[in-house]
Amino acid sequence: MFRSTSLRLAALYTAGFAISVVLLGAITLLTTRAALSDQFDDRVRSESNALVEEYRVEGLEGLIQAVKERDRTAGSLDYGVLDAQGRPMAGRLAGAPTPLGWSEARNRPDREPVRILTVALPEGRRLLVGDDDKQIEVLNRALLASFGWTLLGVVILGVLGGYALSRDVHQRLAAISGTAEAIIDGDLARRVPVRGSEDDLDRLALTINRMLDRIAALMESLKQVSSDVAHDLRTPLTRLRQRLEAGLVDPNERAQVLEGGLADLDSILDTFAALLRIAQIEGGARRAAFRPCDVAAIARTVVEAFAPSAEESRQSLTLAVDGAPTIDGDAELLTQMLVNLVENALRHAGDGARIEVRVSCGEGAAVLSVTDDGPGVPPAEHARLFDRFYRLERSRSTPGSGLGLALVAAVARLHGAEVGLADARPGLTARVVFAGAA
Amino acid sequence: MKLLLVEDDREAAAYLKRALSEAGHTVDYAAEGRDGLMLAAGEPYDVIVLDRMLPQIDGLAILRTIRASGVKTPVLLLTALGGIDDRVEGLEAGGDDYLVKPFAFAELLARVNALARRPPPQEVRTELSVADLRLDLLKRSVTRGGQRIELQPREFQLLEYLMRHAGRVVTRTMLLESVWDFHFDPKTNIVETHMSRLRGKVDRGHAYELIHTVRGAGYILREPD
Repeated sequence: MFRSTSLRLAALYTAGFAISVVLLGAITLLTTRAALSDQFDDRVRSESNALVEEYRVEGLEGLIQAVKERDRTAGSLDYGVLDAQGRPMAGRLAGAPTPLGWSEARNRPDREPVRILTVALPEGRRLLVGDDDKQIEVLNRALLASFGWTLLGVVILGVLGGYALSRDVHQRLAAISGTAEAIIDGDLARRVPVRGSEDDLDRLALTINRMLDRIAALMESLKQVSSDVAHDLRTPLTRLRQRLEAGLVDPNERAQVLEGGLADLDSILDTFAALLRIAQIEGGARRAAFRPCDVAAIARTVVEAFAPSAEESRQSLTLAVDGAPTIDGDAELLTQMLVNLVENALRHAGDGARIEVRVSCGEGAAVLSVTDDGPGVPPAEHARLFDRFYRLERSRSTPGSGLGLALVAAVARLHGAEVGLADARPGLTARVVFAGAA
Repeated sequence: MKLLLVEDDREAAAYLKRALSEAGHTVDYAAEGRDGLMLAAGEPYDVIVLDRMLPQIDGLAILRTIRASGVKTPVLLLTALGGIDDRVEGLEAGGDDYLVKPFAFAELLARVNALARRPPPQEVRTELSVADLRLDLLKRSVTRGGQRIELQPREFQLLEYLMRHAGRVVTRTMLLESVWDFHFDPKTNIVETHMSRLRGKVDRGHAYELIHTVRGAGYILREPD
């Protein structure tokens, strides 16, 4: 607990506040004391001036009268009038002679220290005006006490608050490391609890959870690849094995067996390469190599490459470009994606079909679509066609790995694009919508 | 030609060595990166065929080392890694071509032949010619026997590639990679259809054909015998 960052931080803050309170107290105390002393001196000086004036106008008798009157008033200052020999003539302040000006003396009957202003009167007489500064002391003590309590409050609040805060942060961090520990121990479904307060720790928790989701997706994809490999490569490998065995039995058909075997092998390798490629795309590492890509240029290359082949099957392959969208992406993968879509249309739309590749842009999105006027696909099957190895019943007999559209979906996902099929009445439209196109 | 083969799989290497020798090449063989490095740095070869993943010293490390020491021999990288990044990395390390395992021997042979430098044409060529076929790289025009042939831009590129490799077999994959920049294998016969159109324009109506199909390997453009 004491090694926790938050507690250390709280302690540091408490110490900082305590020092501020002490500094503030000291400054207040000093300025108050100075102000009060000034006020005290002013009061004594003005009393002294008033009495000197009294003496000048009324003479010694008037002065003594005034001092006596003042002595009778409660809460007044202390006075003393001394003759030339220093003997008291009136007032409470008698005793040792004080020097002219300000001095500190115990000239009162109660022997308390008194601050005295001594002024000379004619004929060697002296007027003493003074007061104890007990009031200042009382005030100072009160100030000191209040600052003391404040300091205590700050420290207590700081310690309690710091403890509570660090306990809270500590618990939340412990939840994060607990999740990490659980995942290390194999519980990949664990996630960091999120409070919903949207503070920095919550955001950290959300980020960690997203990272964990990503890792889980990657693991899932890896698992998928291994099960796909097991599932879909075993069948053709078995066929290859049977073919080779048959060749061993009947050596007369050697050339035929070898040729068939090589063809089998090539199709297995194709499937294998496609699976690896999809896995690689789904790994998402290609995103680091994204560059601005001219979608229309890619479409032009692909259409131009495939148009002669389309013509051979009396199909037509045309390009319609509306705008010049640029997207951040991987040109090679985008090319392969479009090739797969076009080949899919060429293969399944049938003889004489018209196929159009369309590039358009609008509202910050680039749309790439391939439309044919072939037999189409029942809407219920649309979504499933992007699954690996999913093939329509009627196309089971045609060549193809069932991975073409899975690769299209993987490339689209990598680019953050939406891919979908729609009924083109008649035929099928495959649309890829890239958000954030320029 | 004199070739160096660096490959750690002895069985595959023995097969390749025999097949390359049968194709008329002299083959030196190294099973290990270190031996390969020594041979590559010491002997003059026409082409080096280098496996990318070797025990001890990695194929790319060898490639970088020999390139750093100034050896300019063309290198064909063989690899089990077919990813886009792997290919780029291999070419950036100084490889001249890249072939993903498993491959057909015809493909390897065609690529080795394509890499071997014929008497190097140092001057910038503005015209390619084979027999009575002329291709002007500046005007982007083609004539055969003085007669003009109209070609689509891609057909022009295809013919240019064939003429630059005249007398040597070029494979379908080589054409896909260099003419279309397709580093994957489309299921459609696009090379065949473009090639048949090109042949229709270049060879039809002439006394002899220049472009020939090599069964199981690819195409060759060559002077008549």
